[in-house]
Amino acid sequence: MPTDTKRIQGPDASQSTFLYKKRANTVQPALLEEGKRQDGRSPLEIRPIFLKAGAVSQAKGSCYMEMKNTKVICAVYGPREVPRRDGFVINGQLRCEFKFATFASEVRHGHLTSHTEKDLALQVQQALEPAVCLHKIPKSQVDIFITVLENDGSVLSAAITCASIAVANAGIEMYDLVIGSSLRQTGETLLLDPTAFDETAESESTDDTQAIVTVGFLPSLKQVSCSVQQGQLQCEDSIKALQQCIDVCERYYQVVYECLKKSVKKLKSPVESPMDEAPAS
Amino acid sequence: MASIQLGEGEKTFIIHGICKDDLRSDGRTCLSYRNFELECGVVSNTSGSARLKLSNTQVLVGVKAEMGPPNPLNPSRGGIEFFVDFSANASPKFAGRGGDELAAEISNMLGLVYKNKKMLDYKSLCVIAGQCVWTLYADIVVLECGGNLLDAIALAVKAALYNTRIPLVTVHKDMDGTEDIDVSSNPHDFVTLDTKNLPVLVTVTTVGSGHIVDATLEEEACSMACIVAAVNKEGAIDGMVKKGSGSLTIDSIYKMLTSAKQIGKDLNKSLDDFLSKKGSDMSSKGFLT
Repeated sequence: MPTDTKRIQGPDASQSTFLYKKRANTVQPALLEEGKRQDGRSPLEIRPIFLKAGAVSQAKGSCYMEMKNTKVICAVYGPREVPRRDGFVINGQLRCEFKFATFASEVRHGHLTSHTEKDLALQVQQALEPAVCLHKIPKSQVDIFITVLENDGSVLSAAITCASIAVANAGIEMYDLVIGSSLRQTGETLLLDPTAFDETAESESTDDTQAIVTVGFLPSLKQVSCSVQQGQLQCEDSIKALQQCIDVCERYYQVVYECLKKSVKKLKSPVESPMDEAPAS
Repeated sequence: MASIQLGEGEKTFIIHGICKDDLRSDGRTCLSYRNFELECGVVSNTSGSARLKLSNTQVLVGVKAEMGPPNPLNPSRGGIEFFVDFSANASPKFAGRGGDELAAEISNMLGLVYKNKKMLDYKSLCVIAGQCVWTLYADIVVLECGGNLLDAIALAVKAALYNTRIPLVTVHKDMDGTEDIDVSSNPHDFVTLDTKNLPVLVTVTTVGSGHIVDATLEEEACSMACIVAAVNKEGAIDGMVKKGSGSLTIDSIYKMLTSAKQIGKDLNKSLDDFLSKKGSDMSSKGFLT
């Protein structure tokens, strides 16, 4: 394991106490008896979301997203020249960096980018690529930096939505937005927009299927640009879960749209840019 | 992947063949798989190994079983880890750290599939709960890189795990209560792994409006998106990821998954048949005998 020598490291073999916490011998059910989840939601209820485009003032485009305790911030820089060593590509390129803040989850994350983070970055990048007009920014690259401030489940889907708003906010031409959503299936129960607890909760019988499905969806083109399934599902169930996720994405779309509209209006408002007034007077 | 350059004309030729005539440049139909060559027990210093050659793709998998402290989250469960190494023999691009990104992508995909508790009997890999468990290190060396690398690797991994022999260990308590691990000195005392639930990966690649399995490098160059599905012998999907920079409609995903399911079932069946005959072979001799 390579270490970053410029930072002060904790003891070599220290572990979070969370890992040693006594767990109840009986597995906690995903659903309480009244059919509610641990956080009080019903299985098909999604968490309220907060979106703010333009949260980072120095960046070309940015977005902050909150889904209760899942908090993600994303900044977009560029388009800029591709460094020569990366080789020549005629179309534009997206370069995505995904990072958990070290304190984001229950177990501390390292400073160096882990394999999981690299994999999530790739998922976000591949989810956005079909939506961005890469031929309009030839020979240049767009940097997308995603930081998860707090992780309470559905991180990938939040990152996809957040990054696509940030790219749109940066004024980079896009065919469509990309909205992410995820669900957790335990046996016959579907839990939309799972929290970290929902994602790891185990079902009582070991025969039950347990899977997490994440989807990135382009709502006006009706195309799926990201689809990840972890765990076992029958082929038909897998498609049903995808369809369910897509329906959720469509519900998010209106909110995302409003958020972008607001950020554009702000740009045009006379208080923010007095220059606009000059020709009129 | 180690991509190759194709002219527009060549691409059109391949796409037209697939969309209109259900015919590919090597004479196959869209959903037919190539024959592959599989050999088990090829490396004597491993606990289990396999070599697979699928046309121009060649991979070698060695599994080593080692004992160590468990993950504190799962104190009574062993584990499996994947490391992919791209040999610079396959392409000069892979020299130094060249293949690292692709390697991480592949080991993450395998990790995602094997994370499921149903895959292997991870509990049987526990020696002393909380103190000592078996960890299987599956090291994958890519010797030649033609198309369809992921499928080839998954097949070889399953074969190598079938081939794996874990030495028999016994735990006995000393007088003062400390537990002692004893490794059997008889080389014929070993346990094998139950691989009947292990899936194979099936990559379904979209080319034009159609989709194909077992794509060659040329066909991969014509494609924008593919779906990698892990399919077990009953046809259930053990994991699925969309790869590539294109997007797909839900209908085409459904069609692709259905094809993957069928192909995966067939592949599993032929692999299991082979493994039950030759999978526990340990006496590969090389070319000298």
